Amino acid sequence: MNFEAVIGIEIHVEMKTKSKMFSSSPNYFGASPNTLVSPLDMAFPGTMPTVNKQAVINAIRVSNLLNMEIDHTLYFDRKNYFYSDLPKGYQITQNDRPIGKNGYVIIDSLDGKKKIEIERLHMEEDTCKQLHLSTYTLLDYNRAGTPLIEIVSRPDIKNGYEAMKYVDKIREIVVFSNVSDGKMEEGSLRCDVNISLRPVGESKFGTKVEIKNLNSVSNVQKAIDFEIRRQSGILLSGGIISQETRRFDETKKETVLMRKKTDSVDYKYFREPNIAPIYLSDEFVQKAIDTCLPSLDQKRDYYLSLGLNIDEANQVLLSFEMSNYFDKLIEGKKYVKTLWNLLMGEVLSYLNKNEIEINDFIVTPSNLVTLASLIDSGEISFNQGKKILQEMVKNDDDPKKIQEVLGLKQNSNLGDIESFCKEAIKNNPQSISDYKNGKDRAFSFLVGQVMKLSKGKVNPQLVSKVMKELIDKE
Amino acid sequence: MSYLDKTIVELHELLLKKEVTPLLLAKEAIEKAKKDPNNAFETIVEKEALEFASSLKECEEDNLLWGIPFVCKDNISTKDILTTASSEILKDYVPVFDAEVIRKLKDKKCVLIGKTTLDELAMGGTGTTGHKGVTYNPYDPSKTCMIGGSSCGSCASVAASIVPFSLGSDTGDSIRKPASYGGLVGYKPTWGKISRYGLFPFAPSLDHVGFFTRSIEDGAILLNALQGYDPKDGSSLKDHDEDNLKNLKNGVNGIKICVFKEIIDSINDKVILDAFNKSIDNLRSKGANVNIISFPKELLNAIYPTYMVISCAEATSNNANLDGIKFGPRGEGNTYQEVMMNSRTKGFSELIKRRFVIGSYSLFKENQEELFLRAQKARHLIVNKVNEVFEKYDIIYSPCVSKARNPIKGGIDDKLSSTYLIAENHLAIGNFGGYPSLSLPIGMDDGFPFDANLTGRVFEDSLVFQVGYALEETLGYKNLSIEKVVK
Repeated sequence: MNFEAVIGIEIHVEMKTKSKMFSSSPNYFGASPNTLVSPLDMAFPGTMPTVNKQAVINAIRVSNLLNMEIDHTLYFDRKNYFYSDLPKGYQITQNDRPIGKNGYVIIDSLDGKKKIEIERLHMEEDTCKQLHLSTYTLLDYNRAGTPLIEIVSRPDIKNGYEAMKYVDKIREIVVFSNVSDGKMEEGSLRCDVNISLRPVGESKFGTKVEIKNLNSVSNVQKAIDFEIRRQSGILLSGGIISQETRRFDETKKETVLMRKKTDSVDYKYFREPNIAPIYLSDEFVQKAIDTCLPSLDQKRDYYLSLGLNIDEANQVLLSFEMSNYFDKLIEGKKYVKTLWNLLMGEVLSYLNKNEIEINDFIVTPSNLVTLASLIDSGEISFNQGKKILQEMVKNDDDPKKIQEVLGLKQNSNLGDIESFCKEAIKNNPQSISDYKNGKDRAFSFLVGQVMKLSKGKVNPQLVSKVMKELIDKE
Repeated sequence: MSYLDKTIVELHELLLKKEVTPLLLAKEAIEKAKKDPNNAFETIVEKEALEFASSLKECEEDNLLWGIPFVCKDNISTKDILTTASSEILKDYVPVFDAEVIRKLKDKKCVLIGKTTLDELAMGGTGTTGHKGVTYNPYDPSKTCMIGGSSCGSCASVAASIVPFSLGSDTGDSIRKPASYGGLVGYKPTWGKISRYGLFPFAPSLDHVGFFTRSIEDGAILLNALQGYDPKDGSSLKDHDEDNLKNLKNGVNGIKICVFKEIIDSINDKVILDAFNKSIDNLRSKGANVNIISFPKELLNAIYPTYMVISCAEATSNNANLDGIKFGPRGEGNTYQEVMMNSRTKGFSELIKRRFVIGSYSLFKENQEELFLRAQKARHLIVNKVNEVFEKYDIIYSPCVSKARNPIKGGIDDKLSSTYLIAENHLAIGNFGGYPSLSLPIGMDDGFPFDANLTGRVFEDSLVFQVGYALEETLGYKNLSIEKVVK
């Protein structure tokens, strides 16, 4: 018997707003435990929620990018349950009226483009973080109240590859719209997968298993592919699938049982009485959409129009932050290729070697643009440029000053170049005959010799030209 | 010389003339609070009050509240001052922030003397269920008749002239009903007019912060100070502030007032009815049009069950934070469930648990349609009908209670009688619709005062005070307190 998998994915995205969903506490990752906390986050009696406007703008933007209908009236509900990570004893969410509904994304599946429908997108608040130790549990309220958007797909996904592509697409959208870091490993993008199998042609759904704790896009794929094999195995041997929650064990590369699901919890939803319905004007919604940053696809098209090839464009776009830095470099639409080479070559390897994020890179874009202009004008060679850059990363000094101090200037005097070339030819008769016999490498060797004789100060392009003319004359 | 049986307006005159100082007033209030025989206090903040009062030197002429002592119900957050909600589960809770109303009164240089008792977590109307036991009615030396609740301590302190005003909260009638047993002006505003930031939530869609005073004018002064948009309260009203003193003395000529016949019919007490009818005559004599009209009895009967379902449902959720992990004496247990269950079992009284069960039950998926959502519908029906009345009338006028003396033990047994369902519970209409609602004394029954209530259209708080002022003038019960009555 052949089975088909029915897969739905719920994605929680932590928004990187300045403050929390309903309180004014700062919101960022990595602070000391319990330092980003206000009375509301700890559910002190008498505190009241106020809705974070930026979070609403973000939710509108993502809803729009997911082609959703956007509700112009905001309602919030309470989801009631007791748990040690839930400060108020309820979570404020949007149960009845999600801000976005009925959307879709297009992904690249193994069979070409595929539309994955999205049922809903709603805003809610995160719980606190728990650290379970041997006989006790530590609570960190920094995360409590972090704004979340939850995106729920319809069960259109058929296999691990499609799931991986779907999650990747959502990640790309929330990252490039500047809504979230989208870091699965840090938990700022978390996904829960619901998966059931049914015989091909059957319309009834099989028993649903939920997979949690998926901390990378590739684990989403692996977990689902494993789970499909596991469930098919059980079904083929006449077993039945039990409704349960599983997690992905990275070392074993398989899903393992977390808990059996009993009757689902009754969350006793009701409208949050402390937040009156909020009416969003058409102008507000439209402005949120119009002021959204360009998508990855839009950025790629732009880079291609400036002369980068597709691989180059994609390389910059691997990182949202890197592409933003690149955007600042190419604001003048000049020296694009040289800037790309500097950024993706010298700068990137410097950042990697020193474990610095591009956002913390000391060199201002305008100084890097100056450097590129020196290179492209022939004032200095690319290699000299690299030397200057090595100085620039220390204090972000003006590259022209560094050039002066280091005495780096490319010599383009044809007379000087010619005499260097003649000397090289004289010293290396063997190379001349090699070259004439078709060995191209001999020519590069000769140019290298000129660079050596000139201590690297002559313009290599001119050297090649002069050298060729001289040899041809011989 | 005693000063605290005077109104805010009278005290301001004395403060201006330097006949008395804030420190002297604070000292007198604290002395009285310490000797209070009615169990009205959770905490007396002697040190803070005296310190603050001594810092007040020059009376601000245009600030009528300057240097005036007051007390506050203990479900309103006060920074660094114990705030218990009269519940064991919060017996050691010291807030880290001031409620907005406290902040405003501090700005006005009012001097907080103490925190007052309430029915546990403001859930109750008898003044008997706080963790410190029964709060007594100052008018009743035999201590057998209730002061009512839930704002029992705040009511008792003003009735006993410990302070000239106090803050309370009102979810069903928790200010306006005790105001009747204490012979005070008791007011709750239009929902959203006074910030609830810092009020421990019981049922936010019905909750209001309000106050007790001994005169209508004092109330209008206080409302001027307490009203205003607060960004910390998402339900706070913008652009609805007016000077409530401006039209205060404009009288009732041409004002349209109605009385629900069904409410009058549910009251048998002759003293109450006579006084109420006399007050109607007074209003008419001042030029008001007062009509007795009929209001659907089934809607009036539905008030209490509707109130119970909605308030208990919201309450069970609002108090879910009190789980022994962040607040309250921590229960023993090996799992978080055990810790929470044991904390909550010990921390709440039986009455509270009963209300939580009712609330939870009505929110269960299988019951929600039949109970919670049906109660919401009933609330809408009642409010729509009342709004229809407000198309023709400016004010709804009614007696607050079915009798002045309500025994703590015994009381009204038949919870399905009209006397209970209607006469004793109709004030919750003000909470359902978020209407401004004001109680004021209209009579005495053998040494026990009782009030009537004026409820107006939303945003028309000012008019309610205006009518209240005119009525007060005709009745002679202004600035009632046990000291006045004894004299």
